[in-house]
Amino acid sequence: MMKLEAIIQPSRFESVKDALREVGIEGMTVTEVRGHGRQKGHTEVYRGREYTVDLLPKIKLEMVLPDKLVNTVVDTILKTAKTGKIGDGKIFLSRVEEAIRIRNEERGESAL
Amino acid sequence: MSVLVSQVEAERQRVRAQFDAGATAKETLRQLCELADGTIHQMFGDMMKVHETPEEGLSLLALGGYGRQMLFPYSDLDILFLFENQKSEEEFRPLISEFARTMWDLGFRVSSAGRTIDECKRIEEDNAEFHLALLDRRFLAGDQALFDKLDKRILPPSEKQARPFLFSQLHRLTKERLARYGNTIFHLEPNVKEAPGGLRDYQAAFWLRQILGDRPDLRGSSAADEEIAADAVEFQSAIRCLLHYANLRNDNTLTYEMQEESANRSLAVRDGVKRDAAEWMRLYFRHARTLSRQLLRYLDQKITMPLSLRERFFSAARSVARPEAPPSGAHFAIRNGQFEILNQAALADRAIVYSLFTEAARAGTPLSRDAERIIAYVVSHSELHAINQAMTWDTLKEILAADYPGMALRPMQRLGILMEVLPEFRAIDSLVVRDFYHRYTVDEHSLRTIEHLQALADPPDARGAQVAALWRAQERRDLLVFALLLHDTGKGMPVENHVQGSLTSLASAASRLGLTSEEEAEVHFLIEHHLDMSATVQRRDIFDPSTVSGFAATVSTLERLQRLCLLTYADIHAVNPEALTPWKAEMLWQLFVATANHLSRSLDTDRLHASDEASLLAQVQAIAGGAARADIERFLEGFPRRYLAMHSAAEIAAHFGLYRKLGNAPLQTDLKAERHGFSLTLLTADRPRLFATIAGVLAAWGMNIIKADAFANAAGVVLDTFHFSDLHRTLELNPSEVERFQKSLADVLGGKAALEPLLQSRESASRARPPKVAVATRVNFDEGASAHSTLLEVVTQDRAGLLYDMGSALARLDCNIEVALIDTEGQKAIDVFYLTSQGRKLDSRKQDVLREVLQGTLG
Repeated sequence: MMKLEAIIQPSRFESVKDALREVGIEGMTVTEVRGHGRQKGHTEVYRGREYTVDLLPKIKLEMVLPDKLVNTVVDTILKTAKTGKIGDGKIFLSRVEEAIRIRNEERGESAL
Repeated sequence: MSVLVSQVEAERQRVRAQFDAGATAKETLRQLCELADGTIHQMFGDMMKVHETPEEGLSLLALGGYGRQMLFPYSDLDILFLFENQKSEEEFRPLISEFARTMWDLGFRVSSAGRTIDECKRIEEDNAEFHLALLDRRFLAGDQALFDKLDKRILPPSEKQARPFLFSQLHRLTKERLARYGNTIFHLEPNVKEAPGGLRDYQAAFWLRQILGDRPDLRGSSAADEEIAADAVEFQSAIRCLLHYANLRNDNTLTYEMQEESANRSLAVRDGVKRDAAEWMRLYFRHARTLSRQLLRYLDQKITMPLSLRERFFSAARSVARPEAPPSGAHFAIRNGQFEILNQAALADRAIVYSLFTEAARAGTPLSRDAERIIAYVVSHSELHAINQAMTWDTLKEILAADYPGMALRPMQRLGILMEVLPEFRAIDSLVVRDFYHRYTVDEHSLRTIEHLQALADPPDARGAQVAALWRAQERRDLLVFALLLHDTGKGMPVENHVQGSLTSLASAASRLGLTSEEEAEVHFLIEHHLDMSATVQRRDIFDPSTVSGFAATVSTLERLQRLCLLTYADIHAVNPEALTPWKAEMLWQLFVATANHLSRSLDTDRLHASDEASLLAQVQAIAGGAARADIERFLEGFPRRYLAMHSAAEIAAHFGLYRKLGNAPLQTDLKAERHGFSLTLLTADRPRLFATIAGVLAAWGMNIIKADAFANAAGVVLDTFHFSDLHRTLELNPSEVERFQKSLADVLGGKAALEPLLQSRESASRARPPKVAVATRVNFDEGASAHSTLLEVVTQDRAGLLYDMGSALARLDCNIEVALIDTEGQKAIDVFYLTSQGRKLDSRKQDVLREVLQGTLG
């Protein structure tokens, strides 16, 4: 099992979600986050006040996947979240030791 | 034992079957209570026999809902074991444990407490719930004499003494509970026990009635009222029974599925009419409103305790020092922070009722519950012959434009007056629309949007801090609030797209109330686009300039952008308490700022080519009555596109009328009184120092410029508009001065009179007052905003004559104003100028000199 964390543009979220549903992914955790990588922020001045946007709004998706689905999901996110501009985000993958469904204590991939 | 288990279970099933077959909730609860009572009797008696223990010294009491004989299928049995003394407590302890275990085995969820009779005398200050539950005590089994001693001799004096404590604790617990549910009955999936309008309201009202004493003024005003309340209890109880039976546990959430089920069964429906789930929920809300109102009436009461001699003395002294007598002839007055009715008979004149709502909206003061009851009585009795029943748009506008419109709209909705004035609102009355995000019914959501806006007067958290300035400076709140009232009315119509339905509502309301076409167009825009800003924030890259320019094209003016931003803030906020996350609020603000800047920085590049505007030309031609199309084209050619966005075809035709008269006199003006001052429109040929001179004349007459814009067409005809307040009410109080003011303006601009002496006389007459808020001066240039002008933005402390000083400084340095946008926000002046010098952009040296001069002039 792998844990996938993807940081994407908020504007791409609906498309990514729909595309993931089409490949059979229903469950995910979604968080509104702020941050920046190479895409630095900028400053807007409105009515004499400076508004510095150094942490840009992003959406973080988290899901744990059975190994056989990892490539499909990664490809789907790459295809739908990419605009080609700086700030498109990143995908992180890490190995998961165990998953346990709290309701019935099922373990492993069947608990996903 | 197993036989007893089967018997109890069989009896439970029988009760359930009767309920399913249509037995009332009251009957069901009574039978469940009898089953519990009978089982306790039998169990307790058997145990006493087995242990050969006499009953003296131990008594079993039912408390809370069970004490009141309202035992729901999966509710706990609240039982108190009452002991004569500590010795008897020790003796009976093993027996009690065995009793509780057995009851559990029989499927009863026992929630028990044990107290000696002495312990019951003492008030446990950290356990108000116990003392409240004790108010519902009922003898179950054991030592009857011991119960009688507690019930008749011990508790009455201690409960009387504890009344203020019980009242304050019940008040606190109830307020906390209501706040947990957003203080509204209008939840899409309500909890029929805990939420406002649920059975806990009934229970709390029952306790308050006991604590306050059964005062006749607090009972229902008629037998009919009592019956309505009883019906509400039966309705809510039936739902709770159904939920318990369906969920097989004490789960009281009336989910969408259970709403369908209740509607299919016509649960607790007495008129035999078959309803769909949405209609059945309207019945639910009607009953919930009854229970909620009943509770709130009790909750508003103050407990009266005899005063000490010292308290009586000070109370008398206070009343002499601060008499609260309202002015004679007043129909209502504020008492204890609420509006009270002083003259009930006067309310037959609806104009007086409406003026009360207007005052509530202005002052931010609520109507008392009694005031609402009196109005409800008057409104519902047609034999009282109401006069002035129709609310005019002017009156409604006054309410909507006030600082606290929700303070009037809430009681108007509760009293049915809102739907009288705005029948379009009926479509969403108590309407449940199922979706994943909304928590409230559609009418509740709509009213909450308005309350979120009025809360911006003192923003409750960081989410509102940024948009608060937009709300405070908003000039046409009435249009914004009107749009919010109607924006979701389409959800109650059989249309595919609710926005279209809401626009239909607007069309009928606008025609009935008599909105001007400009007012209707503004509200139309807000309703039509009420989802756009939210959609842009969530589905577009708001940091992409093309997103911003596209959105700016939709809103077209800063005023519309401000209103749409406030509407979107309120609309998201009112979906549920968590919907407007700080993240979303920040995104919304970023889009607002980027679009506002785009609008003020793209003015000079976005010019009008009159020949492309066929439809506008035709409209202006029709209004202007036979003017040559070529003349209109010549007039419009080259104005910034913002000019079109800001003015209707009728206004443009009026400007064109002034333009045609330029041949007769080189200066044409149009002065109009507005809500908060005057507007001056001025057409003339462009010339050096023009803007500064006009600003100077206004300053010399003591006028405070709040807003202004200056545009020029391709032929060099300048169209300036100044909105100003008349600080000394010179024009308002002396109509003859209007003519003198216009002549003075013409004389100064025509070179027949000098400006300086006028300004000097004003300076000597007025004393500068220190500013309330210090605003630091900022002078910024933007080279990229326009291809042929330099954008100058100045933010500084507003003061009389400021614009004249700035305009003069620009003129001295040979800067020509191509476009100007002048605005104020409290004591902050925010001015944008597009400047050229000798027909070109300002070079960096000139910018430096100008910056230095302005910093020196403005401080």
